[in-house]
Amino acid sequence: MFRAFRFIVDLFTQRHGIIAFVFFLLVGLLMRQAPNVVKENIVSSVLGTVLYPAQMALSSLNAYRSIVAENEQLKQENARLRQETYYASEGLQELTRLHALVRFDDKWGYPIVTARVVGHNPGRFLTTLIINRGTHHGVKENMPVFSMNGLVGKVTKVSYAYSRVQLLVDPNLKLSVLERRTRVVGFLESVDGRTLMAMVPTHAGVKAGDTLITSGLGGIFPKGIPVGTVKSVGQADLDVMRQMNVVPFQEFSSLEEVFVMEKEPDWIIRELLDD
Amino acid sequence: MIKFKWIKLFLIYLLAFVLQTTVGDWLQIFGVGPDFVVIFIVAVAIKYGPATGCFWGFFAGFAQDMYAPVEWLGAHSIAMTVLGFVVGQLEERFLTLNLPAKMAVLAIGFFVCDMIYFLLTGLQKDVVTNLFFSKTLPECAYTVVVGAVVFYLSAGKAGKKKHGV
Repeated sequence: MFRAFRFIVDLFTQRHGIIAFVFFLLVGLLMRQAPNVVKENIVSSVLGTVLYPAQMALSSLNAYRSIVAENEQLKQENARLRQETYYASEGLQELTRLHALVRFDDKWGYPIVTARVVGHNPGRFLTTLIINRGTHHGVKENMPVFSMNGLVGKVTKVSYAYSRVQLLVDPNLKLSVLERRTRVVGFLESVDGRTLMAMVPTHAGVKAGDTLITSGLGGIFPKGIPVGTVKSVGQADLDVMRQMNVVPFQEFSSLEEVFVMEKEPDWIIRELLDD
Repeated sequence: MIKFKWIKLFLIYLLAFVLQTTVGDWLQIFGVGPDFVVIFIVAVAIKYGPATGCFWGFFAGFAQDMYAPVEWLGAHSIAMTVLGFVVGQLEERFLTLNLPAKMAVLAIGFFVCDMIYFLLTGLQKDVVTNLFFSKTLPECAYTVVVGAVVFYLSAGKAGKKKHGV
């Protein structure tokens, strides 16, 4: 076993590493050229068997950090509460939050699954999150994911106990949006994996400060989930469309808890996805 | 001996990965953070040469590819393989680099890696320009500063003499 390992190492280190370099370059190029189905299979198998469990272990480190922060916060809160005669303010806050969630739930009529963010991609471009809910909890692919502030993304991969969430800033997620004031429909995407851009018809007169919500036209996201605010309006290549920078309501790097809406894609979209 | 070297490198890679997903987030200033994985690849390539460098470059790049958009699969792997191989040509066995030289290698390697990545992902020119100034440049500077600390600490007492610091 060790001899075989030694043989492979020796072979790869010959000629000052040229063989190893060419080999890894070829493997990389093959992956680049592979059809998307093959790429998906590679990613699914590696994520499912190695990275999700590893990230779960890593997330416990973050959990420790948040427990320490939470502990400190609770101490302060406790001190404050001791000085107060009533516990009403804390109960009222809780009630308000729950009322907001109940209203959110009622608005669309779909059950909601609460999930904790247990990991994200280690690279510098945050485009995916991993949550601790999977098929076991009723989560399926293409279900919308949101937070109390607004839309977060959608579920793209599901395993038994974990799911991968594709964030709005993922360049492969394109979304139909509606401007709340002018009721004009446009589409939202991220071309660089960091910032959000919306394309809206010029005649609509959308301006900075306007609010974008989901239009419900894509068949995956229901209508009316807050998405973000228009930060600035620019000029697109075509005069009929305006390109605008959008600031999402939810800051993705600070997400700790999200909600998965148990809404499956409309039947026509499901058929398209199946095809 | 070889076995221990690979186990040691794997543990160091795990440490870099953990730092990237934990400390990397905490150290962010205005959304700009250091890249511990690139520091790891450059350090390993300088220490052990091109073969080891491109192996760990591919391995680390592949791990990052798993979380990138699936259409870009392989882009990180190729960019970091090239980084490991090229930096590995400056292997310590044949060449002694002082701390400023290592920082320069890290900076150039960071740029080259990002440029190859942008090239392979096929992003538009204006997007790449924007990313270059808003992401690559500040993160490169931050990574070089953190890398300098890592190189200094890993050099130990011998490194202090060598670097003359």
